[in-house]
Amino acid sequence: MSEPTFEEAQRELESIVQRLESGDASLDEAITLWERGEELYRVCSAKLDAAHGRIEELAKRVEQVKPGNGAQA
Amino acid sequence: MKVEATEYGDRRVFSVSSFNRGIGDWLARLPTVWVEGEVTELRRQDRWQSVFLTLKDPAEGACLGVTMARGQFDALRLDLGNGERVHVFGRPELFEARGDFRLRALSIERFGLGEHLAALERLKQKLAAEGLFAAERKRRLPRLPRRIGLVTGNDAAAKRDLLTAITHRFPPARILLAETYVQGPRAAIAITEALRAICAAPEIDVVVVARGGGSFEDLLPFSDERLIRALAVCPVPTVSAVGHEQDTPLSDLVADARASTPTAAARLVVPDLAELTARLDRSRASLSRGARGTLDRERRRLNGARDHLRRAPMLMLERRRAALEHSAGRLRALSPRATLERGYAIVRVEDEIVRSSSQVDPGAKVDVELGTGSFGARVEETR
Repeated sequence: MSEPTFEEAQRELESIVQRLESGDASLDEAITLWERGEELYRVCSAKLDAAHGRIEELAKRVEQVKPGNGAQA
Repeated sequence: MKVEATEYGDRRVFSVSSFNRGIGDWLARLPTVWVEGEVTELRRQDRWQSVFLTLKDPAEGACLGVTMARGQFDALRLDLGNGERVHVFGRPELFEARGDFRLRALSIERFGLGEHLAALERLKQKLAAEGLFAAERKRRLPRLPRRIGLVTGNDAAAKRDLLTAITHRFPPARILLAETYVQGPRAAIAITEALRAICAAPEIDVVVVARGGGSFEDLLPFSDERLIRALAVCPVPTVSAVGHEQDTPLSDLVADARASTPTAAARLVVPDLAELTARLDRSRASLSRGARGTLDRERRRLNGARDHLRRAPMLMLERRRAALEHSAGRLRALSPRATLERGYAIVRVEDEIVRSSSQVDPGAKVDVELGTGSFGARVEETR
């Protein structure tokens, strides 16, 4: 199974939070859900970090080749 | 005198001389009349008994021979010339030797100012009734004529003034000049012919008929019916620049525009080049200003769009991160820590939560997480 997208991971995290908030999960279940939630958080956070990095990199490249500025001192 | 006929059976036949005599007698009984016309072919010689001239109808061209006793003619001291308008008082007569019909003049009067005025007024009424002076007949003059036709006198200062005024206002003006007699008995025909000729020339877009100031008689040719009709049917717009402000020759009424000075005429037929150039320059300046303004506006808009574009991913990222952190906050708040606080503990072996004793062997190393803190431990036995 391929890695979930950010949105899929976030949706799952949100449903876990709602499940836990409803309070009808057993302790055991709650711990499992919590662990899964923390893992999903790590996945989402890593994806955001990666996206941020790509955006920064792209912005840097765009700044370098800014049109009209090439010939100016 | 008796008119005798010879009888041939039932046919009465006259000799030529008796016929002429009969007609002559009959004509001599007609009353004396006044006849108006233009003097042409005036022949007078000291050794002749009579003076001969032909009276011509200026409008229709009909002719009438006139004779007058030389003594009577000389006594009038008219000093008549060809082309002059006269009133002749006389009776019809037949010159019997030749069978020529003519008017025997008893008196001749030069057509006076009063008569001229009356005739002019009649002509004006007639032409007005035909609609020749109507405002709706007036054509708009071209803004920038290719060529200007100019009909003026050969001697006239009017010509020089008008040429100066036109070229001063618009130096590149192209002018076709038709010089003609503008005074005297031949003037009206000469001007009319010059007008027709100039209209036939290529690229003529407007015609100016010009004459400087002069006496009432001097300006009369510009009220001549032939010229007025020629102006009315002129294929291009016409300007009458005849005489001064107070003069109103009929040419002023029939032309598409009138001017009382050469400067005014120039204003009518050509644009002011200096003003034209200035206006063009202003247009060009505002054009480039407008183009530059549009360019600047578009560039600002583009830059704005670019800034938004650059900010958008970060903005989206931050919004996602905020949502994520919100979910994480709620997750943490719900963590079983509260349960641990009540005395429970979570046991992990190699990061796995231990849910069954079968997961561990004696001697295995485990992590124990408590409500507050955690510690490592070793399994003594399994049950």
